[in-house]
Amino acid sequence: MAKGEKQIDSKEDQMVVFQLTEQTYGIDIDAVFEIIRMEAITRVPRTPHFVEGVINLRGKIIPVIDLCKRFNLPLTERTSSSRIIIVDVGGNTIGMIVDGVSEVLRVPLDSIEPPPPMIHGIDAAYLRGIAILDSRLVILLNLEKILYEHEQSELQRFGIETA
Amino acid sequence: MFSDEEISVFLDELEEKIQVLNENILVLEREGGSQEALQEIFRAAHTIKGSSAVMGYDKMASLTHEIENLFDQMRKGLLPVSGPLVDTLFMALDTLQILRDEIIGKDVSVDIEQVVTSLRQFQGAGSAPAPGGKPESGKGVLKQPAAIVEGGLEAVDEDVIREAEMKGFQAFWINVELESSCQMKSVRAFLVFETLQQMGEVIKSQPSADDIQEGNFDAGFRVVLLTGEDPDRIRNLLMTVSEVAKVEVSQIKLAAGQEVREQVAAGARAEKTEQAAKADHEVKTVQTVRVDVQKLDTLMNLVGELVIDRTRLNRFAEIFEGRFGSGSGDMVETMNEISSHLGQVAGDLQEQIMKARMLPVAQVFNRFPRMVRDLAQKLNKEVNFIVEGHETELDRNVIEVIGDPLIHLIRNSLDHGIEGPEERVKLGKPRNGTLKLKASYMENHIIITVQDDGKGMDPARLRAKAVEKGLIDSEVAQRMSDPEALNLIFMPGFSTVTKVSDLSGRGVGMDIVRNHIDQINGIIDLVSAPGVGTTITIKLPLTLAIIRALMVELGNEQFAFPLTNVVETISVKAEEIKKVKHNEVILVRGRVLPLVRLSDIFERESCAEMDRLFVVVLGIGEKKVGVIVDKLLGELEIVIKSLGDYLGKVPCLSGATILGDGQVALIVDVRSLVKEIGVEEAVYAAS
Repeated sequence: MAKGEKQIDSKEDQMVVFQLTEQTYGIDIDAVFEIIRMEAITRVPRTPHFVEGVINLRGKIIPVIDLCKRFNLPLTERTSSSRIIIVDVGGNTIGMIVDGVSEVLRVPLDSIEPPPPMIHGIDAAYLRGIAILDSRLVILLNLEKILYEHEQSELQRFGIETA
Repeated sequence: MFSDEEISVFLDELEEKIQVLNENILVLEREGGSQEALQEIFRAAHTIKGSSAVMGYDKMASLTHEIENLFDQMRKGLLPVSGPLVDTLFMALDTLQILRDEIIGKDVSVDIEQVVTSLRQFQGAGSAPAPGGKPESGKGVLKQPAAIVEGGLEAVDEDVIREAEMKGFQAFWINVELESSCQMKSVRAFLVFETLQQMGEVIKSQPSADDIQEGNFDAGFRVVLLTGEDPDRIRNLLMTVSEVAKVEVSQIKLAAGQEVREQVAAGARAEKTEQAAKADHEVKTVQTVRVDVQKLDTLMNLVGELVIDRTRLNRFAEIFEGRFGSGSGDMVETMNEISSHLGQVAGDLQEQIMKARMLPVAQVFNRFPRMVRDLAQKLNKEVNFIVEGHETELDRNVIEVIGDPLIHLIRNSLDHGIEGPEERVKLGKPRNGTLKLKASYMENHIIITVQDDGKGMDPARLRAKAVEKGLIDSEVAQRMSDPEALNLIFMPGFSTVTKVSDLSGRGVGMDIVRNHIDQINGIIDLVSAPGVGTTITIKLPLTLAIIRALMVELGNEQFAFPLTNVVETISVKAEEIKKVKHNEVILVRGRVLPLVRLSDIFERESCAEMDRLFVVVLGIGEKKVGVIVDKLLGELEIVIKSLGDYLGKVPCLSGATILGDGQVALIVDVRSLVKEIGVEEAVYAAS
């Protein structure tokens, strides 16, 4: 990874770039703990539909969500290139299933465009923006929003204790 | 000024010493002027005084100074132990406790004037004169000596010593060594100086006094003391300072301007006292290190990893053997050997870490004697309070939770259980009530009982009360057995006391007590006979982190039921299941048991309908429910892990555990499951 490199120009961000249903997305590298291969996921009943279940990450129980389901995108086959990206957002460690992780890219801040109201069926509220790099379009996600907004309400809805 | 670490060491010590004071003052109250207790108290007060003075907590220092003065007089037999004196002392201790809270930043402010005044009233003739003869000398005691010739005295010093000798004082070299584990060297050194100055005058020290006060010395330092005391007494007094490991006293004899050091006759007596002091010390100081509980948790996780890797290694050995067969020679055997050794080590490691998390229940129990004494006084009751088994050890998490419920139960017993002395005599009972708090092990549980020989509780009255309060209807009440009726007091909103006292109503908050106990997977039970007394039994797991569980299979997934809630497992024929208003039930030994399928609760596919079904019978309090599962896999010790904040509280699940092969299995939350099924309706609909 490019983490060990010298001074990064403050005018650019480093992004972990991954694929989801044929599209290219990016998230800020600072949020990424590690990237692991797919492993057996224990389903947890009565949680929101996009929560795939939990895994054992070196003795810690980590919830894993399916980003495709999260955005209601067409589901893809799990392949040998599928990965779980372990991120740390809002103090919680969470895994996200993606179709594949390709690289770490440097994205100059001035190349980030504001997102259109809707892109590939994803609402602009969940996006940081769009970056065009060597003729590729990378959609930059806003993890906080994705993981906590609407999810929280949905999680709560499920979590209501039947007294 | 002082680091957080130093302050926290100081606070811990303070807590410990306040406890020592509490215990010993109780002893004084019981047995009058026990010398041993007085000694302990004096020592504890002295330590607090010294360290709080160093830390700059003046209020505390002056208060403990007063306490110390009182005890000095009591030690000398000038002041007898009396009720009012003990009360005042307790008041002083409570003030100390508040001062401690003040230090840790709780928003309280204390005025110690009143307490100090009360303490002084007992002191009669003002403060006692300082013990030991002090040579008059205008010099500052802790003056900086001039450059020191290692091991030697300078001419100036010799002059001072000669002068003192003319007045009948002697000079001693005193070597003081602190324990290697000592964390507050400067404080201890200050105390040593304090003690020395009570006996005479320190005219020299190596290293310099300033360095010593700053803690800039290795394990020890030496001083020259001018005093009229005898060396044994000097040694003994210095040994009372905490964490002093060794004291050597040797007299300085000046012959023809030369210093001749001569060991003071170390007769059998001196040796004995030193040994006694040593033994005393060994008992008191177990070598300990403070460790963040978080670190222990991390260690525990790592051990879990090891166990899992060992399982993998086993698997690999099998595959390896299958592939290379006999061609592999001893390699498979070696691998198996490594794997089993690894398993053993991991198991031992786990056990040791578990033990590191355990604390003696004394941590909680020690608070109670004082509380019982105060309460009994307030209520004008006479009580023998017996505590047994405080060496029993529990996981620290459990210890943290168990305190409040116990306080509640003990208060209840005193307030509503044990009758006043006159009433007891009328009833033909001994005047003094007995309240017994006991902890003991039973298999891998700990049992805590709170037992009183007071009024007891009347099931009939409880039934009537519950109906009157509208908690249950009279029909249900009639059907209740006596033990069931006793359990009514755990219902929220139940209280048998018409006038709630300022302490606690028996029943006020009993539901809270039960909730606390439930939180830590405990079970609370109660036996009572009117007129004879009440015994409350709390059964707790030794640790929160590990439980025994019944593992079951559903589809191809495993679930764990905590064994504490499993009443039994039965296997039933499909045709035995009856329908009552869409609910499935079966008859077990003549009683109706509502059934529910785990596959329905967790929206899972069950395997095909079979004609034999496995049922896990779960019990919470008096409620029972049967859960149909695909397969019973047996019992297992599991380590409980939370599902994390992100998922929050998932209905019917209390967490997850990691199995030997690294897979995650979910743990069923029996309480919320039983709640969800609405057992009562099913039961009453069926009957």
